[in-house]
Amino acid sequence: MTQDDAFAADLLRGHTDTIVLSVLRRGERYGFEIYKTIRDATGGDHEIKEATLYATYRRLEKDGLVESYWGDETQGGRRKYYRITDAGRSVYRSNVAAWVATRRIIDSLLDVKEQQ
Amino acid sequence: MNTDIHRLLDEAFAGVDMTPDAQELKEEVRANLVARVAELEASGIPPAVAAQTAITELGDVRALLGEAADAAAPHAPASPWSQEAFARHRVRPKPAFVVRIVVYSVVLVAAFGLAALGALGLLPLGVGAELTLLGLGSTAVGLLVGDSLSQETTTNHPLPIGRASGFALATFMGAYGLGFGGLAAAGAMDLWGVVLAALGVVASIVLFSFLAATQTNRKKAWVRQSIAGTPPNRFEEDPETAARFGIYTAVIFIITFAAIAVLVFTVGWLWGLLALVGGFAVMLLVLARMLFGPRKPSS
Repeated sequence: MTQDDAFAADLLRGHTDTIVLSVLRRGERYGFEIYKTIRDATGGDHEIKEATLYATYRRLEKDGLVESYWGDETQGGRRKYYRITDAGRSVYRSNVAAWVATRRIIDSLLDVKEQQ
Repeated sequence: MNTDIHRLLDEAFAGVDMTPDAQELKEEVRANLVARVAELEASGIPPAVAAQTAITELGDVRALLGEAADAAAPHAPASPWSQEAFARHRVRPKPAFVVRIVVYSVVLVAAFGLAALGALGLLPLGVGAELTLLGLGSTAVGLLVGDSLSQETTTNHPLPIGRASGFALATFMGAYGLGFGGLAAAGAMDLWGVVLAALGVVASIVLFSFLAATQTNRKKAWVRQSIAGTPPNRFEEDPETAARFGIYTAVIFIITFAAIAVLVFTVGWLWGLLALVGGFAVMLLVLARMLFGPRKPSS
């Protein structure tokens, strides 16, 4: 892993809660689907570990930002599905707003030129 | 359906206090692992490896339980060599096996010893008695091999009885065949002894090759886990090649046997050995080609 990757992973991990909320905004998912969505978006590298995700679900549920229910699969174990709550949506929106503002400040401080 | 994952999950949760919280997490993890294993298998990874990979990716489940379990987990972390695992995996010595092995060995040494003395003319034995002694000795070697292989050891599960018997039979035929050859060499037997000797040895080589080529390494779980990290054997990843090798071997030795018969009755029996050596060399070449030859482009 290069220095760049390590930095990006760190940065990403700091936003795990918001990322999971964002995935759940698109619909109810169970653990592996959430993990897969994040993994595919990061290009297949495990930037966010499964262990981190389980801790995240637990924390989000405790804070009332998501709620869970068991699916009715008959084979291979029942899946625990997560669904975002209204409180979750509002936290998601404020986190996104904070990120956009922060990104703008960092971009300007780091003197990043727009690449478009 | 891959059932390995359920066993591995149980092992991962061994020693964890089964609070309702932990139980719920375990069920959640189970469904996710099943999905991950299915994904790995769909990409062509063998089931056992897929299950192992998925559980390794998961990491230590105690970390998953996090803060909630910190207070509830006063147990020392279970090492893989814990008392419980030791008791579960211990292989008990079997006195009956030791006694059997000693008896086989005594019979083996006595029978072959007497047969050798007879063949050298030091004991007045007829051909019939010689053959009986050889048969007895060969049976003892065969039983020695078969019985040993069907024992469980600390690193291997026992071989199934059928397969162990196959090895026993192959050993018996090889030993008997060599015995006939020895008798013929010592001049105690006519030329037809050489043909029988060749038949026994060739049949034994064919059977050994077949057994070895179809042998799967059913070792203990932890040995398989460590092997899972090493590149697979050609025959394991490509059973077609193994089957092809089996057929080639049979053909090579049928031809070898015919050549031995022809050589024995035309040029002299010692030349029969040459055909045997040739057949063996060709088989090894085929084996090398099958194991290390260029690979087919995978479709």
